[in-house]
Amino acid sequence: MIGNDIVDLELAKIESNWRRPGYLNKIFTSFEQKLINEAKNPTLMVWLLWSMKEASYKIYATKTGIRSFAPTQLACESLNLNTSQAEGTIHIKNELFYTKSEIKPSFIHSLAATKRVDLPKISTAIYTHPNWLINYKTTGPKCVSHHGKYLALIY
Amino acid sequence: MNKEEIINRLKPIISTYAPASEALDEINEETDFIKDLKINSANLVDIILDVEEEFNIEIDNASMEKMLTVKASIEVILSKITKE
Repeated sequence: MIGNDIVDLELAKIESNWRRPGYLNKIFTSFEQKLINEAKNPTLMVWLLWSMKEASYKIYATKTGIRSFAPTQLACESLNLNTSQAEGTIHIKNELFYTKSEIKPSFIHSLAATKRVDLPKISTAIYTHPNWLINYKTTGPKCVSHHGKYLALIY
Repeated sequence: MNKEEIINRLKPIISTYAPASEALDEINEETDFIKDLKINSANLVDIILDVEEEFNIEIDNASMEKMLTVKASIEVILSKITKE
């Protein structure tokens, strides 16, 4: 199974103040908070980890039928980051998800998969408002994510 | 404090993070934050933090997990208030 999540970084800046006291503790594990504190660009790290968790949660919720808001339970266990890409793992209960993220100046798009070999097989289409694909549902995407001006589809 | 009072104190908090909609105007116990109000999940944390301040309670992660609807939020708030 596969999942995705896109974060419009401009909108995230307006919508969320992650520096608000108490905010990080509600979402991130101590390992993740360490990654954020030590990052050259902490804001980017916040949204990278967030999108990895969300992409993984979509698979988890579909697979188990469980809806919950437990961001600290979706725990990043490893992360390899360079300037434009990241690969990592997210662990929840007894499930492990593999993630791959694309980092652009204006958005972060993360993919998650139950099997690592499935990640390179995913094809991605990202549309920017107003040029969204109108009838995107008819194209049969495996997962859909939209945030701000972006629409991201994976197949 | 009864459910109605709690809903009345929750409304302004929720409205801060929800786009204008019919569901927001008609907010009730059955309202789902994400499905009905289209609240961004990153803002759910802000709602939780605002609720903690408004009701002077601490919401642990196990309680937060359930807070996807108005009804679940009321239950969490009531259980915390009675404890204190």
